Order: sequence, then C-alpha cells, then structure tokens
Amino acid sequence: MAEDLNALSHDAFRARWREWLHANFPNEWRIPIIHRLAGEDERRWHRMTYAAGWRAPSWPKEYGGLGLSLEKQLIMNEEMEAHRCARVLDSGGALLAPVLMKYGTEEQKARYLPAILNGDDLWCQGYSEPNSGSDLASLGTTAVKDGKHFIINGQKIWTTLAAFADRIFVLVRTNKDVKKQAGISFILADMDLPGLTVRPIMNLAGEDELCEVFFDNVCVPTENLVGALDQGWTVAKALLGDERITNGAPTLPRQSFEMLEQLVQGLDLGDDQGVNDRVAVLLCDLHDLAALHRQVADAAIRGEVDNAVLSMMKVLATELFQHITDEMLRVSNESAGLVEPVGIGGLDTDLRKLFMVARPSTIYAGANEVQRNIISNMLLGPAAK
Amino acid sequence: MGWRVDNELQQMLRDSAQGYLGDAGGAPHARRVRALSDGFDPATWASFGELGWTGVLLPERLGGSELGLEPALTLAEELGRSIAPEPFVASSVIAGTLLSAATTDAATELGIALAQGRRSVTLAWQENRGSLGLPPFVTCLQNGMLSGTKVHVPGWHPGVALLVAAVSATGPVVVLVDPTAAGVTITASRLTDATLAADIVFDRVAIADDAVLLRGAAAEAALQLALARGTVALSAQLEGLAGALWQMTASYMKDRLQFGSRLSDFQALRHQMVDLSAGIELAAASWRAAATALDSGVGVDLAIHAAKARCSQAAQDMSRWAIQYHGAFGYTDEADVGLFVHAALAWSTWLGNPAAHRRAALVAYRSGNVRHG
Repeated sequence: MAEDLNALSHDAFRARWREWLHANFPNEWRIPIIHRLAGEDERRWHRMTYAAGWRAPSWPKEYGGLGLSLEKQLIMNEEMEAHRCARVLDSGGALLAPVLMKYGTEEQKARYLPAILNGDDLWCQGYSEPNSGSDLASLGTTAVKDGKHFIINGQKIWTTLAAFADRIFVLVRTNKDVKKQAGISFILADMDLPGLTVRPIMNLAGEDELCEVFFDNVCVPTENLVGALDQGWTVAKALLGDERITNGAPTLPRQSFEMLEQLVQGLDLGDDQGVNDRVAVLLCDLHDLAALHRQVADAAIRGEVDNAVLSMMKVLATELFQHITDEMLRVSNESAGLVEPVGIGGLDTDLRKLFMVARPSTIYAGANEVQRNIISNMLLGPAAK
Repeated sequence: MGWRVDNELQQMLRDSAQGYLGDAGGAPHARRVRALSDGFDPATWASFGELGWTGVLLPERLGGSELGLEPALTLAEELGRSIAPEPFVASSVIAGTLLSAATTDAATELGIALAQGRRSVTLAWQENRGSLGLPPFVTCLQNGMLSGTKVHVPGWHPGVALLVAAVSATGPVVVLVDPTAAGVTITASRLTDATLAADIVFDRVAIADDAVLLRGAAAEAALQLALARGTVALSAQLEGLAGALWQMTASYMKDRLQFGSRLSDFQALRHQMVDLSAGIELAAASWRAAATALDSGVGVDLAIHAAKARCSQAAQDMSRWAIQYHGAFGYTDEADVGLFVHAALAWSTWLGNPAAHRRAALVAYRSGNVRHG
C-alpha cells in the first residue's frame, strides 16, 4: 500500500481498516478473550496483514512499519475488539523489534526485522526462570564467552508459545561479580540449536502455550549479543512507548462484561437487585477505566506520558477482568462447574475457562503486587529497607 | 499533573484559584465559617465575585465571565482541594445556569448581583431525599399561589435568593420567592461541611407574574442542564478534595515514625495508598468524561451517574483511610483531616450517593444501549 494511511481522516481510516478486517479475518478466529493465535495461525496472520499493507502499525516507516499515529493504532485495536478477534501476541513485532531498533546493530536490524514483518520468524521471550519471577533481575541462566561464541546454560520458564517459535531472545547472566541488574546481557538464539529443548506446561485453562526452555551448552555466535555486554537490563526496557498505551486498553474487561450481561439476561436475573448492584459496580469500574484510558491515550498523543498511571491501569484492568469473571461464576450456579460451553443467553463459552484465563493476568507482565511497589515508589518515594 | 492537562484558560484559573485559596482558603477558612451561625461568609463570597468565579457561567449581559463549563469545573476541583464551604455548585453552577437561561427583569437583576458576589442564589427542587434528577413536581403554582414542600435546599442563609421549581398549568416553572413572604416556613439544618440546608413549606404563597423566571420547555431544559452541570461540578469538587486529602495523608505518613520506620515505608500502607490514588485517578477521568458527554450530548446519563458515584466513593474511601493513617490524632477535631472528612460526607451524599448513582448508571446502560467505554 503506497499511500500514506496517516493522511486519511480518522473516520476514513477506520472504515478502510474495518472493511479489510471484516472481509479477511477468518471466522474461526473470532473467539475473543480465551483464544490466542498460535504457531502457523499467527504466522498466517502476519503474512496476511503484511501482504495487504497492514502489518506493524507502530513501527517507524524506515523499518517497514506503517508509522501510524497513536490515534490510528488505537482505532485498529478498537475495530479488532469490536469484531471479536482472537488475541495475537506478536512477541517479535511488539517486544523484540523495539529493542532491536534502539540497540541492535545495522546487521541485526537488517537480518531480523524483515523476517518479523513477513511472518518468516516467530519469536519468543525468554525472561522468567524457576527462581526468578517477579524478581527477574536475580536470573541465573549463564552465558560464558568462549572465543567467538557464548555458551548458554540454564533454564527459562513461562516462555509463551516457545514450542512454535523459530527464535528466542533471552536475558542471561554474563557477570556474577556486580549488582544483579548490572551483570545481565540480552542475547538472540535460534530454537533449533543443539542443546536447546522445549517442554510445554499444561495450565489451568487447559492450554499448553507456556513452556520451559532448557539450555544445555547452547552455542551462540557473539554477534547475537544485542547492546553492550552486561547492559541487558537496560536494553530489555526499550519498549515502544505507544505499545504500553495500546496494551493498556480495557479490552478484556469490556468483552467479558458483555458476556456477563448476556449471562444475566439469559438467566433472567435483570430484576434481581442484588445481582444488579454488583453488576452496576463492575459497569462503573469499566466505564471509568475506559474514560481514564482514553484520556491517558490523548495525553500520550500530545506527548505527556504518565508512567504511574500506565502501571495503575494494568492493575485496574486485570483486577476488573477477574472481578467480572468472578461475578459470572456467582450468577451461573452449577453451570460454572461445566467443562463445556454453557449456552446461556447465547453465550457459547466455557465459564471455567474464562475464569481461569483471567487468573494469570494479575501475575504476568509484572505481578500486580510488584506493580504496586513500583507505583508507590513513584508516588511516595522509595521505601527505606 | 501527569495526563491531566489544562488548556491555557484553565491553567490561568487554576493558578489564580491556588493563589487566592492558598492565602485565604483551606482548613483555617473552613474553621472560621464553621463558627458562623449562618455557615456563610459574605466577604469571601464577594471576593469570589471579584475574581469572576460567581459569574463563571453567566453571560456578559449579566456581568458574567461566561467562561463555560470546563473552566467552571477546574474551579470546582480547586475549591474541593481547599474544602471551600462557599455555595459554588449550588449558586454559581446550578442557579447560574437557570439565570443564564432566563431573560426577565427579575432574573437579570439577580444575575448581575450573583456575578458581582453581592448575592448567593439557591434552587429548591428536591421534594424527597434520595431523588436523582428532576422528579415529577408536587409543588404547584396555581392562580398566582405557590404550594408544596421542598427538602434539602443547599447553601441556605438568611440573605440567599430563593428559586423554586414547580409545576403549573402550562408545565414546569422556575419562580423567585421571597423567603420572608407570608406562607413560607423554613427549617434550616446544619450540614457536616458547616453550611445550612433548608426544608421549606410553601402554603399558598403569593407569586407575582414577574417573579416567574422560566416557563414550560425552557424551564424544563434549564433545570435538566442545571442539575447535570451541578452534579458534574460537585463530582469535580469531591475529586479535588480526595486528591488534597491523599497528599495531606502522604505527607503525614512521611513524617510519622513508628517502630523506627516512617509510616510511608510500610508496604501494606504503601499499597493501600496506591489503590486510593487509583480511585482518585479514575474519579478525575470520570468527571472529565462526564463533562465531555454533556458537551457532545452522547451517553450523558451513564457518564454523569458514573462520575458522581466514583468521585463520591473516592472521597469517602480517602476519608476513612485518612483518619486511619493519621492514627488517634486523625480522630481529633484539632487535626484538619476531620474538616475534609466532614466536607466529603456532605458533598458525597448530596445530589445522589454512590450506590444510587451506580444503580442509575446500570439502568441508563441497559435502556440506552450506550457503550460503556
């Protein structure tokens, strides 16, 4: 698409994207909240959007992205939400690419970015370890330099979609003699290297998207180091600012609230004042969170980024998502115990699965307790130890 | 300010408000007004007039500054931060909206007096406690006689100008009533923010034709707008109060040592302060969204109900934790924290409490098919 999408009015842009999305988004992927595109499905989505000129909305144009304004990125997300699209993780495009753009060498950018765009490379993020979850900086997987190679040993865990990934970006310890954050490096590795094995973990929602990744003397060329040696902690923080705003949208609470309303109506509880008073709390929480997100996004468009409130919205959105799925259990009696779609009020979803999918949201991407620590440091100053 | 960005006019007003209220307002002023039997300080109201605040919504023909709702809300937020007991919402916003819509001589005269800060004005609309929005009025103007009962008329003091909403043969009316006229019985009660609210009985009170300021559809529309604006402005005031109380509590926690640590170093307390701050951020976003909705006419009911519910709840929650984190000192009258808590009680329960507004929000959502976000 040669034309400048940024030149379109917001309405024209929205209409253009909606038209393409509705014509091309496969119906079997229209499962909101509980479904995430994985493996060949994800690859297919990247290829489709790339071929049609819709891939990488937030990337600058010089790297082959669309270079869209934040407003237009938000419009794309809104339309996908309204169309009830499955979630897409896009670890390569959303998580790794900003790091490469900021810290990668020209060779690294030229080698990896085009393959992320066209779907040839699916990436996974190797950060957490069995003993380093919320306290990520304590990680112990090591990389030892040996001539022109790093030899990596250790274990990663909760690596999302690792079983489908072509490559992995990992945080590894390259220096044990300094403060824990100062001895970490950011390294790229192919998933088919000798000594690298993946074991999927079955979770409570019945999915095996999260994996363990084992490194047993995995040998990686030194040119796979991103940024300077021992600077990985800083490198890993280079997320595109816009992604934090678009990711902060209350999509999951909004979609789950609509399902809750379907349940309430389907169970004929619309006149139950006890239920209504609880639903009213959730409605107001959702309304106000959406109002906050909209205004924080507007401020970001003007260049004002409020880090404390961005973290706060992560806490609010994930806890609201849980409160809504809690209420779904509360109203649906024995149906909540079924391991199959409930079929109440036209809701074709397994309630247990919704409930379970909501659980890890307060754990991943910085557990909410850690978020509260971070926010309190910003609001009250650091706590004395 | 973070994500909350003022335009130039709002920034100017906020600076001027912080300057004036910083010198003259806040807790000491609230204590002074509390000591007055009328709960109203004419000199401060006159200063509000000089600053252009009493006439912030009034048109130029009445000597108002006609700045519009947004700047009025900025002022309300700042007045909330300094727990000003002045009847800004009741008089400048609610009555001011009615006087802007009216064109009779009596309305003009009163509008000018309001703009100058010589008079404060109040509207008697409620007939039962707990009602949200305009009720079907029982109070009736018939053959030049007004009869009925109004409750919880805010900003009451002997010098206040009294507007009364009633029904007549030709639809709703807003009339100007002399509180000393025959047939008017007033019972004033003290509220927790030190101001008075009156219950008023009208028993065949003679109303001259020129005392009818608004009639029919114009009266209905002006009353709707006045209450909507008043509810949003009160929400902004509550959020301002909650924010100031958060700051006051945080400062205290940074000074107070127990077990060899500052209170602000204890993780459980830090996390609670984060949650309270999140409630205040939501409140600030919610009343701003309500103002936008009121301006655009889209999703107005849901947005206003959500805003008053959130801002009231944030102020009540902050109040309870402010007392708790100030410890026993917070339970004394000497500590300023109590002045904020008392103001929060009066403001959060006036024009609909959180539970009532949440119920109404759900009704608006289900009946209007409006999007919730």
